[in-house]
Amino acid sequence: MSIAVFGVNHRTAPLEVRERFAHAARDVPGSLERVLAAGAGGGVLLSTCNRTEFYLNEPADTVPEAVWAILAERLGDGRGAREYGYAHRDRDAVRHLYRVSSGLDSMLLGESQIQGQVREAWEISKGQAGPVLHRLFQSALLVGARVRSETGLGTGAASAPSAAVTLAGKIFNRLAGRSALILGAGDMAELAATCLASEGVRVTLVANRSYERAQAIAEALGARALSLDEAWEHFGEADIVLTSTAAPHAVVTWERVASAIARRGDRPLCILDLAVPRDVEPAVGQLENVFLYDIDDLQAVAAQAAAERRSEIPAAERIVTEEVERFWAWYGGLAVVPVLKEVRDRLERTRAAELERALRRLAHLSAEDREQIEHLTHALLNKFLHRPTVALKEAAQAGRGYGLLEALKKLFDLERPDGG
Amino acid sequence: MVLIPHLIALGLYALATALVLAPFAGLRPAPRGLTLGVPLAGVVAHALGVARLTPFHGVAPTLSLLALFLVALQVVSEGAFRASAVGVFTGPLATGLIGLALLIGFAPAAPPPAGAEPSPWSILHITVSLLGLALLALAFAAAALYLLQFRELKAKRFGQVFRLFPPLERLDRLNHLALVMGFPTVTLGVLLGFGVRYAGGAHVDAAQVVWGMLTWLVLGWAVGVRVVRHWVGRRAAFASIASFAAVLLVYLALKLSAPGTQRFL
Repeated sequence: MSIAVFGVNHRTAPLEVRERFAHAARDVPGSLERVLAAGAGGGVLLSTCNRTEFYLNEPADTVPEAVWAILAERLGDGRGAREYGYAHRDRDAVRHLYRVSSGLDSMLLGESQIQGQVREAWEISKGQAGPVLHRLFQSALLVGARVRSETGLGTGAASAPSAAVTLAGKIFNRLAGRSALILGAGDMAELAATCLASEGVRVTLVANRSYERAQAIAEALGARALSLDEAWEHFGEADIVLTSTAAPHAVVTWERVASAIARRGDRPLCILDLAVPRDVEPAVGQLENVFLYDIDDLQAVAAQAAAERRSEIPAAERIVTEEVERFWAWYGGLAVVPVLKEVRDRLERTRAAELERALRRLAHLSAEDREQIEHLTHALLNKFLHRPTVALKEAAQAGRGYGLLEALKKLFDLERPDGG
Repeated sequence: MVLIPHLIALGLYALATALVLAPFAGLRPAPRGLTLGVPLAGVVAHALGVARLTPFHGVAPTLSLLALFLVALQVVSEGAFRASAVGVFTGPLATGLIGLALLIGFAPAAPPPAGAEPSPWSILHITVSLLGLALLALAFAAAALYLLQFRELKAKRFGQVFRLFPPLERLDRLNHLALVMGFPTVTLGVLLGFGVRYAGGAHVDAAQVVWGMLTWLVLGWAVGVRVVRHWVGRRAAFASIASFAAVLLVYLALKLSAPGTQRFL
């Protein structure tokens, strides 16, 4: 009776290694099949850009080798995979999955994307997971949801692009339907634009010094491309402006945009300047109803949220510990049932055989007396088994059944088919 | 019993205020169920107390009814606008008003003479006027929150106000809605007051009429610039605050010129 996880994550392996270990959904069943063939009762493979983990039920001793071999093949350069990996067993394996699904083990503490990835891994591996891992993953999703609802681990924007959403969200009532103008083609602006788009913001215009580059980004975002000089007029219309040009000096100056902004009246404008050096002249931020933020501001918002999330770790860990014990109690109880049944079956067979032998020697007894003796043996067996059965079930429910179960197996020699 | 529901409401309002203010002291924000449920329970208890205020006469019942409307609007703001921060203003104000009402006492020192008890029209006038006043107070609270959040966003200060106050646009909408609902309500209250006066149900000084009309004009201006001239944001918030300040100043001036606890005005 055991559960184990073998895998690598962002703490144990560099990106270059994690990239190679990552499994596309179509590759998951094949790798799992190989691991299960090495001897396991069920498996789920969780593979994201930050982790590749095999969760296994009842893994045989040969299974770790099979896992490391599959991963080493993906490295393809003769390096071993074990040096990047870790293994957790039983409660530690359950705790690990619960920490993963809660975002406690994520690179960005408390991020919620992992919840969907755990669900996806479970769904892809459903046919190979088996009942124990099925229950484990189902509970992991509930633990993740509980941690998010009962603690502040997932609150706030803990990255600069998501801080852009937070800042814009403090100006506008709803971000859905707002229009955004992007100046420049920096990666950060693209990331922030993606974050804003996920909130329903429409990127309508993309302007860049190189019109071709602007066109490429605009096409990807379903927007219209502009040259940089055409963009200033549109400061009068857009709700959000994201700037990330490679210019060595401020390109958005008061002279260029003040008249367009004046046309807005009281409508607010949020400008997120993600460029280093900055694209927007500080004087633009002095204009009425213009809210100007640079990369330092975004990082300040993100750092604040990250600090708040860190303060929630103890509360989240308490929930995880509580839920690990709950799962382990269920798991312990699950293992008790077949063992108790086997003990009872074995003793019942012994009782029946001994009764038959005794009754052969007592042929003079009436049918009624025989029935009485049979009843007596049944009653004795039940009485002898009652207390150990109750004690074992109680111990299992309290999560202490594993040791007793092992002892029972040894005492009754249950490992062998006939018990000797 | 009037006293017990009022005491329960006082306790619940104080608790609701503490829940709203606690995050500003660095404590974890209370779950939404509590920030909604506690004041709502207070409103229910309070409404039971107010319903038993007979005869409805004197300053204490009026303060109590105003506090009831304020907290009811606070609950509506949280429920419909997710603007629990409104409680930063309405919570302490309502708690103070109900506390003051309890201190003054609900039993009138000199009951109205026989035949001069408040008529149903008079009670309707008071109720509608106080609801209008509470709506104007809500507009004031939303405007004040707007200006505070505006200042923090402009100054790039990402502290508790930034985190706990609603977005600017939402506060602006709440202010707009409270103002455009508050003005007609106050107007209806004033008209009912005239009706009661000319039916001989109440005495109104000329000063009250003049200053009341001037205040009404200031309120009309604040609504006018919003609705007709489409002011939004900071300018509209300042107009809203100015109009509510005018209401308060005129009330205080009139009250100081004719002190007493027998009449609200």
